[in-house]
Amino acid sequence: MSETHPNLVRIERTATSSDPPLSAEAVFDVLDLRVSYNGKAALQDVSLQVYRQNVTAFIGPSGCGKSTFIRCFNRMNDLIPGALVEGTVRYHDRDLYAPDVDAVEVRKRIGMVFQKPNPFPKSIYDNVAFGPRVLGMTGDLDERVEEALTRAALWDEVGGRLKESALSLSGGQQQRLCIARCLAVQPDVLLMDEPASALDPISTTRIEDLMHELKRDYTIVVVTHNMQQAARVADRTAFFSVDVDEGGHRTGVLVEYDLTEKIFTNPSDPRTEGYVTGRFG
Amino acid sequence: MRITFQQELADLEQSLQSEAGLVIRSLRGALSALRRQDVELAEEVVAFDDEVDRQYFAIQEGIQQLLARQTPVAADLRLVLAMLHVNLHLERAADYCVTIAKLVKLAQALEGDASLVEGLEEMGSRAEEMLEVALESFADRDLERAELLVDLDEMIDTANRRLVHDVLALGGKPELREWGLRMILVSRCLERIGDHAVDIGEQTAFLITGEFREFTDASHPDGSSAAR
Amino acid sequence: MSARVRGGLFHAALLVSVAIGLVLLATLLVDVLRKGLPFVDGVLLTSPPSSDPDRAGARPAILGTIELMALLLVMAVPLGVGTAIYLEEYADRERWYNRLLEVNIQNLAAVPSIVYGILGLAFLVRGLGLGRVLLAGAMILTLLVLPILIVASREAIRAVPDSIRQGAYALGATQWQVVSRQVLPAAIPGIATGSILALSRAIGETAPLLLVGALTYVSVNPTLFGDFTALPIQIFQWIGRPQENFHSLAAAGIIVLLGLLLTMNAFAIWLRNRYEKNW
Repeated sequence: MSETHPNLVRIERTATSSDPPLSAEAVFDVLDLRVSYNGKAALQDVSLQVYRQNVTAFIGPSGCGKSTFIRCFNRMNDLIPGALVEGTVRYHDRDLYAPDVDAVEVRKRIGMVFQKPNPFPKSIYDNVAFGPRVLGMTGDLDERVEEALTRAALWDEVGGRLKESALSLSGGQQQRLCIARCLAVQPDVLLMDEPASALDPISTTRIEDLMHELKRDYTIVVVTHNMQQAARVADRTAFFSVDVDEGGHRTGVLVEYDLTEKIFTNPSDPRTEGYVTGRFG
Repeated sequence: MRITFQQELADLEQSLQSEAGLVIRSLRGALSALRRQDVELAEEVVAFDDEVDRQYFAIQEGIQQLLARQTPVAADLRLVLAMLHVNLHLERAADYCVTIAKLVKLAQALEGDASLVEGLEEMGSRAEEMLEVALESFADRDLERAELLVDLDEMIDTANRRLVHDVLALGGKPELREWGLRMILVSRCLERIGDHAVDIGEQTAFLITGEFREFTDASHPDGSSAAR
Repeated sequence: MSARVRGGLFHAALLVSVAIGLVLLATLLVDVLRKGLPFVDGVLLTSPPSSDPDRAGARPAILGTIELMALLLVMAVPLGVGTAIYLEEYADRERWYNRLLEVNIQNLAAVPSIVYGILGLAFLVRGLGLGRVLLAGAMILTLLVLPILIVASREAIRAVPDSIRQGAYALGATQWQVVSRQVLPAAIPGIATGSILALSRAIGETAPLLLVGALTYVSVNPTLFGDFTALPIQIFQWIGRPQENFHSLAAAGIIVLLGLLLTMNAFAIWLRNRYEKNW
């Protein structure tokens, strides 16, 4: 037994952990956000701030509006007919929903990775190159593709076969490809909507390690239904829950938002405690 | 994989080792104070305990974070639980050093017996050795070395028992008798430090084998144990 | 009756259905080939029609059919695909005019072709004053096949997973970029199939062409604004003649028609495969 497990072997001392202290610069400032679909409220009165170079996680039971919320950050809710976003979402002090703001510009800077990996039915190269091409980015495309794939920890595996179909990759590789696709347009923020829930545990761990590396250069917001994942990767965690009114109508509300350590060791709200301990779903 | 987690685990163990260093310093200080009847040094030892307590709380906090956020299993979990216990044993050992220092202060005005003090110093260096062996064998995951602690502890226990006779043999002078009683307490502290070192060894064994067993059980001195 | 026996009977019934279709088709083909193959020669392909069966050819008709198909391709495919894109990607389903459009398209596919012929006569030949010309024929065929094309293209566009669109939008693509660079390329196989269906339907249409002015006896090559005819009409005309040789010529004409059809289909299949390999 003592030969196999790394912790039963003397651990070589490397430099002590030098993670930078948690940044306090706000990238997003959300105030009184309300989202409704066809007149029915889905998310109520959310206010919080997302900080730079942090991983911020949104957790909560299904139907609590966390996916709806994350889509507000890059105006993807615009694509849903009948969706109405009220309140303010400020990105570096600019109101994202101001009438003169172009959603395309927003999405250039704020990228998104989806739950089910969605590579385009094209080659690996063309997938990563799609963003720079449609945005008219100048510069060496080959370099951009290689850099993006390297940052997404995928270059070693696909560098020699960029012309092959993206659909020939495994699930975990496809998801990293989607991440590379986002990185290729050099965003500021990465939004991840349950990025690992369709993947096996090993691929999940790789994605989590990747998040930890990427947060040095990007601000990351992740929605996850796996609260242990939030505990592992996030610096700050927001817990959402479902409010049921007298009419039986369900709306999502923000219950607690704090440093992850606090949420998982001593949360302030009993609802948070109930959720993280698994006593209520 | 799980680089953060591995790093955090390594950092915690590093902190534990450095806490052990503090405890050994504390012990050395207390023993020097005893030998030289140095009250100032004794007070420094008492004040120094705050350092140890700070480390103790930090490690305790770190372990809580690790358990909450990383949900360790298998050997990782045993390591965390072992560290939890070792942390406590180190803190208790440090408290005993403080007690020794306080006893030195109380005994300062009293005349003592040089050969008795020598005996105590002997015990003290044994205790120091035991702490070092305990922490090194924990770091190296060396079960054999950890089991040596039992023998070392024997010596302290024997010396502790002999001390009672030596104190009784000191004679009738009231000052000397008071001093003798204080020294019995010092000896007791050293013996308890030795016990904590053995406990640390047991944690090493638990970490490696996954089974917890007491090296020597006070209620079963013949070697059998309830925890099987 | 046990499940296995029932399963076996069902399997047999399926095979019988396939066999009936295949056998009928084979019979027709063999009959046509037997009668017409000897008559497929240079005369058939290059000579104008004549009352002498040995000198009669179908050149104007063949050219007429080819030109009609070409015009159809140029007019119907852009219109059909464009409408499909509008309805699937741009239109707001809630609006009344879009809903009206949807219902109408589905109805149009069921209209008998002779009605299109009457429509063409009234609006194109007389109303617009085009006269009985090739262009009018092409336009009416376009209207005829448009519903098929639109429906097939819509299905193809709808089959493109929404996740692809979401992914493209999330990268900062505009709606047009998403449609032109992701949706359309992915829908091409389906659109190509739809085009095959449309052209295959149109190539055999006779009634609307007759109403719009195709003549049964045309000896000059058809031009856009001139007299015209098409292969089905020529075949029909030859069948009506008493001489046996004309019947054989008609069979030969059918073979040529089938040949044209297969060529068009082959091209569309090639196009589909070219785009399908990326999946």
